[in-house]
Parts: sequence; C-alpha cells; structure tokens
Amino acid sequence: MTPIVKVTNLDKHFGQLHVLKDVSLSVEPTEVVCIIGRSGSGKSTLLRCINFLEQPTHGSIEVDGLCVDVEQARLTGEQRQVLHEIRLHTGMVFQEFNLFPHLSVIENLIEAPVTVKGLPHDQAIALAEKYLDQVGLMFKRDEFPNRLSGGQKQRVAIARALTMEPKVMLFDEPTSALDPELIGEVLEVMKQLARNGMTMLVITHEMDFARDVANRVLYMHEGEFIEEGTPARMFSDPRDPRTRQFLDRLLRQ
Amino acid sequence: MTTTHMADSNTQAQRILKQQDRNQRNFTLKVAGWWVVFFLFLVFLFSGVKIDLGPIHIKTITMDQEFINEWAGFISGGVPQTILISFLSIIFASILALVTAIARLSRFSPVYAAATFYTSLIRGTPLYLQIFFFFLAWPQLGFEPLPGFVAGVVALSLNYGAYMSEIFRAGISSVSKGQRESALALGMTNGQMMRRIVLPQALRFVVPPTGNEFIAMLKDSSLVSATGFVQEIMWRATKVGRANFHGLEALLIAALWYWAMTIIFSWLQSRLEQRMSRGER
Repeated sequence: MTPIVKVTNLDKHFGQLHVLKDVSLSVEPTEVVCIIGRSGSGKSTLLRCINFLEQPTHGSIEVDGLCVDVEQARLTGEQRQVLHEIRLHTGMVFQEFNLFPHLSVIENLIEAPVTVKGLPHDQAIALAEKYLDQVGLMFKRDEFPNRLSGGQKQRVAIARALTMEPKVMLFDEPTSALDPELIGEVLEVMKQLARNGMTMLVITHEMDFARDVANRVLYMHEGEFIEEGTPARMFSDPRDPRTRQFLDRLLRQ
Repeated sequence: MTTTHMADSNTQAQRILKQQDRNQRNFTLKVAGWWVVFFLFLVFLFSGVKIDLGPIHIKTITMDQEFINEWAGFISGGVPQTILISFLSIIFASILALVTAIARLSRFSPVYAAATFYTSLIRGTPLYLQIFFFFLAWPQLGFEPLPGFVAGVVALSLNYGAYMSEIFRAGISSVSKGQRESALALGMTNGQMMRRIVLPQALRFVVPPTGNEFIAMLKDSSLVSATGFVQEIMWRATKVGRANFHGLEALLIAALWYWAMTIIFSWLQSRLEQRMSRGER
C-alpha cells in the first residue's frame, strides 16, 4: 500500500535551534499513529510541518500523492499551489480548539466548505449536520462557541475538520487543554473516527487511548524518533532508556 | 448543579454584591444631582439677573435676547452640515485606516513604508494646516480648486485615517494566531482568512473606539469653518457674531450644540459598546 503521509528527511530550524533532525515518517491509509514525547521535543512542530503551518527548513512532505520538496526558504508558486492542496486533504485539530467565536456551530462547520470548496450552501449544511451528528452535538447546532464546554468545543472542532472530508487527520494534543472529566468524550469521538477507518496522526499523553486505538506509537526525543513499536510492546517493554524514563514518569502520574 | 444550591452557597456574596450595587446607584444619583446644580449655576451666570443684598451687588452676565431670537435658528442650521462633514469623513477615514492597518502588517517593504510614511506625515502636521493645504495650496499643484467642504472632508479623512489606523491595527492583531492557523489549516487563502475570519472579529474590537473618533471629529469639523465657505455651526456662529458684535451669544449657542451632540452620540456609542460586548466571545 502506498502511504498517505510520507515525511522524508525533514529538518526544521528556528534560528539557532535545530528542532527537527532529519525526521522521516510514513503513515499507511487507515493507520492510527500516536506520537509521544516531552514538551519541546518537536512533535508539535513535525505535525505543523505536514500541513505547512510551519515551513520545513528542508526535506519533503507528501500527502495523498501530493509532494512538496523544500530545498530553499522561498517556495515556488507551484509548490505553494501543492501546499494548498495538501491542506485541503488534511484536517487539523488544535489543543486550543480555535473555533471561530463570531460564528455559530453550524456556521463554523460550513465556513470552509462554502468559502474554500465553493460548495452550495444547502449541500454544506447537509454535510455539516452529518458530522455534527457523528460527534453527538446536533443539539448545539445554533449555539455560539462561548456557550459550549471545552469538550464540546473540541468535538465541534473535530467535526469542522471532518466537514472538509480530509484524507488524514492531525491531532495536536487534542485533550491537553481540557478538564479531566471532559477528556473522555473527546477520546470517544476520536476512537469512533479510528474505527471508521480514518487515518490519524495523534500527539497525545493519553496512554490508554494509544493502547486502545493506535497501530503504532513513536517516541520523539530532541527532534528525532528514537523508538517505535506497537503500543503493547512500547508500553510494556520500552527498549531505549530515554523512552523508559519518559513512560515511567508518565505512568506514575 | 442546581440553581437553588448555588443560591444557598452564595447568599452572603449576593448580599455584598447587592449592597455594592446600592452604593453605586446612590453615588450615581448624587453625581446627577450635582450636574443639575452646576448646570443651573451656569444658566444663572448668563441670566443677566441683578441682585442687591444691602452692600453686596451681584450682576450676572447679560445676553442680548433679541440677537439670540434673531440668529439662533441660523446658527442651528449648521448642525446638519457639521454632522454630514463628520459622517462622511469618518467613513473615508475608516477605509483609509483599514487599508493602512493591513499595509502595516505587510512584510513587503514598499507597502509597509508607504503606510508608516503616511501616518508619520499626517501625525507630524496640524489638522488646521492640512485643511488649508487642500483649500489654499491645492490649486498651486495644478489641480482645480476644491470647494471648502471637499477640502475639509479630504483633510479630516486623511488626518483621522492616520490616527485610526492604530485602532484598526490593534483590532486585527487582537485576533489570535490560533484563529489564523485554523483558517489556513482548513485550506483558506490569506485573503479568505482575512475577510472571513480576522476582519469580522477585528471589527467588533474596532467599532467602539471608532465611535469615540466620530465624537472627536464632530468638534474638529469646526476647523473647516476657517476656509470661509462651509456653512457648519462654527462658521455661522462666527459670521453673525462678528457682524453684530455679539460673539458671546453666538459662540454660546454653538457651544451648546457641540456639547449636546457630544452627549447624545456618547450615549449612543456606549449603548453600541454594550451590545458589542454582549456578543458571543
């Protein structure tokens, strides 16, 4: 099978800081990959490089056959075109939800399909309602985001990304900003999504989620993947001492 | 969590809040009372009343009632002009401010430079000079002379646009990076992100201070009278005041109009502000 996401020899510098060091990664269709690691290890930057919210210093990103090979800082017009298409094929969920506060829930969902894809309004509404129903929030259809709990906001954010019908979903610590009692509902939606065959790349500290859903877990340390394996193997028998130390600390909490 | 439970645990807090509310209301009432006192005193000062209390003679300022009766209507006739000048200028100024603010966010050097150059030039020179520039100096640049009204609106728009660009810039940067990123991640172009996500949110931030600028403009529009060809309040007041040697009466009428308009528009503006802040945030 051809991978749906393929990152090859990716480097990212922030000034003097070398955040990602020659990172490669490939994700097969329907695969769920969890990335774990300390904060500041570069996991978030990697995810943000995949849809070019950060521009890699060099290396190549390929999503669903669309490839941008970054060689110099200034992208060519053609590369920017491809980059834009990559964004159309990737959905992203942020730690801080980032719902549009001036739009109601349903308007949040149809905004991109209508503005970006030019979908007719009624079609966009139908699509949005389908995904809103999927995350169990049809009853919040016409509310504004400030009337939702954190968990509901994140579920709307997931539905908003799904409404663009992406090939792969990127989750950047989707439950880290939530109160503990609200984490479950978001993870439940994500599990459902995984069961439906969505390809997912998830940065998370939720080990139970990783164990239940992930096909693979990767441990990132100082801008490099230093270990990967099935969740069962990674959590019970980490081989690298740095992975073991990280997991020990996490599981003791 | 039930509301009754909330009410029980909060009775103490509610009592304190209620007391604070009462104190605040009392204070507001007293302030209003004092306003009436000061206002009546001002009226008394200009009432022309003579008081003889034994050795004490008090003579307040006498105004020429006949003059007032004759010319108050004429001076008041400038109100629509004043509002029209301010209204047109605030609209053009807002457009200029928006364009300038967006230009100031640009990383393209000539665009950024044009924006800062414009604001520096305008903020570095007096409004009065700018009005005269478009009125007096304009024809020397080889253009058709501008009517006083047009020169005034152009100068006020350019001037306020420069100052207000700062408000618009703050409004645009008040929209968080996360908002921009999620718009981009959804596949929007920079233009779509700006139009659909950033500007609508920035607008809510920008409307109240723009109201303040409009109120300031109502008064600054009086400078346009200096061109001698715009029949707004100030021009009318000085014209009839000079001609009849009754500057006091004429200017007082003008002052009352400016004051009244300021109070009315400030009230409207605070209503607007309340409505905007009640919005969904």
